[in-house]
Amino acid sequence: MDRNKLGKWLKSPGKMGQKYSLHALYFCTGCGIIEIPPTITARWDAERFGVIPVATPRQANLFLITGYVSVKTLRAIIRSYEQMPEPKYTVGFGSCPINGGMYWDSYNTIKHLDKYIPVDGWIAGCMPRPEAVFVAVTHLWTLIDKGMADGYKNYRKNYNSYRANQEKVLGKLEWPPLFSIKD
Amino acid sequence: MDYTVTSLKKKLLSSFNDIQVDISDEYRLIVVCKKNVVITILSSLKNDGFDHLALISCVDRIKDNEIELVYILTAYTENREKGIMNILVKTKIARDKAEIQTVLNLFENAEPYERELHELFGVHFDGHPRLTPLLLEREYEIPPFRKDFDTRKYVQDVFDQVPFVDNKKEGI
Repeated sequence: MDRNKLGKWLKSPGKMGQKYSLHALYFCTGCGIIEIPPTITARWDAERFGVIPVATPRQANLFLITGYVSVKTLRAIIRSYEQMPEPKYTVGFGSCPINGGMYWDSYNTIKHLDKYIPVDGWIAGCMPRPEAVFVAVTHLWTLIDKGMADGYKNYRKNYNSYRANQEKVLGKLEWPPLFSIKD
Repeated sequence: MDYTVTSLKKKLLSSFNDIQVDISDEYRLIVVCKKNVVITILSSLKNDGFDHLALISCVDRIKDNEIELVYILTAYTENREKGIMNILVKTKIARDKAEIQTVLNLFENAEPYERELHELFGVHFDGHPRLTPLLLEREYEIPPFRKDFDTRKYVQDVFDQVPFVDNKKEGI
């Protein structure tokens, strides 16, 4: 263990634990998923950074959205996001979740993902290299340290607006609200 | 090998009148026919050994006010001497009344293709048991793959109207 960080570990062990054990849910949407196998396997080895893939949303706290999000995928993304335990962090991977990317005038693609779920960080590029994932992860560490990766808190706080936006695109949602809806 | 595009063209022209057969290259034959004889042509080709419907495709020819359907036929590997060949059966239907008989009785795997075309191009297949939504989540006034569907306007009307969530504001 890095001795310089001993103070941090003693001061806020919870935060340090969250930082160094990011369990990632690789949501296989779009073309970005092709970058993930080299990232998690031997060549770039994401486990150096404490990032390991997990099987289900209930074990995950890092949500990587790898590519364009169609309307049908958005439904699955919201359901997975709501199943993840807090604290949870979302990272949009590639330019498509940011503003639509090359699907900017597509009839069936969500243009801005952060209208529907909170996103803590973006990785721009089409496609980003695996190194960019690590830049994002290390940047996410800084954000967690400073308490700025607060997407899940915003989701709780502004759940009314998020749910209203989701219903605008998906129609009536067939699952009950995650938090109570304030009037 | 007696199965070549030229021999097949001769055979098709002798058994059907009112069709047009073009040889695209030595592996591809293009049959253009009327909408009401599609099933007869497809079943005779199936009896000839072209027993695999690879795809039903669709072209929206908006200038002619017509929709062109393309049935792509090929053969399974056991009929390999015919199987290298692809046969494209093309037919045209009216754009504003896009209806055609289903080919489900001949090729069972046509079901998802026909559902997809029904959803994306608005082609109605008579006799198809369930023309329910397959891929799309939202409903569209004009089927989205038709040429008069304005995607940019649709995006402005739907996705751009969703507001950003202002996280600086305290809970709304």
